[in-house]
Amino acid sequence: MVHLVTGGSGSGKSAYAEEQVLQLGEGRRIYLATMQVNDEESVLRVAKHREMRKEKTFETIERTDTLENLEIPDDSIVLLECVSNLLANEMFMPGKSGIHAVSAVIDGIEHIQRHARHLVIVTNEVFSSGVAYGGMTRVYLEFLGIINQHLGRTADMVTEVVFGIPIPVKRPGEGIIRQNRLFHEVAAK
Amino acid sequence: MILVIGGAFQGKYTFAFEELGIKDGWADGDFCRFHEIYECRAIHHFHDYVKRALEDHYDLSKLVPNLLEKNPDICILTNEMGYGVVPTDAFERELRDRLGSICIELAENSDVVYRMICGIPTIIKEKADRT
Repeated sequence: MVHLVTGGSGSGKSAYAEEQVLQLGEGRRIYLATMQVNDEESVLRVAKHREMRKEKTFETIERTDTLENLEIPDDSIVLLECVSNLLANEMFMPGKSGIHAVSAVIDGIEHIQRHARHLVIVTNEVFSSGVAYGGMTRVYLEFLGIINQHLGRTADMVTEVVFGIPIPVKRPGEGIIRQNRLFHEVAAK
Repeated sequence: MILVIGGAFQGKYTFAFEELGIKDGWADGDFCRFHEIYECRAIHHFHDYVKRALEDHYDLSKLVPNLLEKNPDICILTNEMGYGVVPTDAFERELRDRLGSICIELAENSDVVYRMICGIPTIIKEKADRT
């Protein structure tokens, strides 16, 4: 089962994704952290996320890039956090995949999918500011959009998290989701 | 009228082309002539159409009523632009406000509104008589 979780920054998508992993049953739970830890802010961010994961029995693997070479225990339940950092690392870290970052990210994620029993992927909504970014920022946004579309197509489930509330975007065995009706169905109950 | 909205790079055009089956009759808001919106089957980059119209002082006040009269079956693809910090530039602020108010009017008159995220459409509005 592959579940893609998206949302804005601070939307609660990480906590939701962790809950989803717990609901996928017992097993070796692996938190795959892709953020580069190189300044005070990132150290604090890691501490905050570790605190959130306490008691949830995750093993943490820190890996900033080149996921296709990562050894993932077979039959594990993996939480990948997050695609936007992974892409930035692949694009902008010296000696990494650079302009070929889209295929590096997708190949890496597909490699994990082949080994893990379940994979929950956290990505990021950064596309609705309306700012006409130039240069590499525009390329980054386009690359992230392409990757998100690919992951959305191949995932079994897609969820957008808004202030901690999961909004279903794709569910297994269901066609196009009618969010207008969801509201009325809930209201009618 | 059909509205397809979403952030940039979310697969709006691919969805309209592949799933809605609109293979031709496209206008591109980035460079089309302004009257083409009344003749095309679908327009993408509608946010760029609005931007250019504001830059060229092309009158948009009757755009939606005119569309309903002349091209009521049009499919319109537009970026959502209003989720960032309010821009310091006055024109950029005006653009977001105008695009927003026009899209509210379009959504009111649309049979169905699709919102794209990660390449996946969800329906956020549809007319009651539509099944």
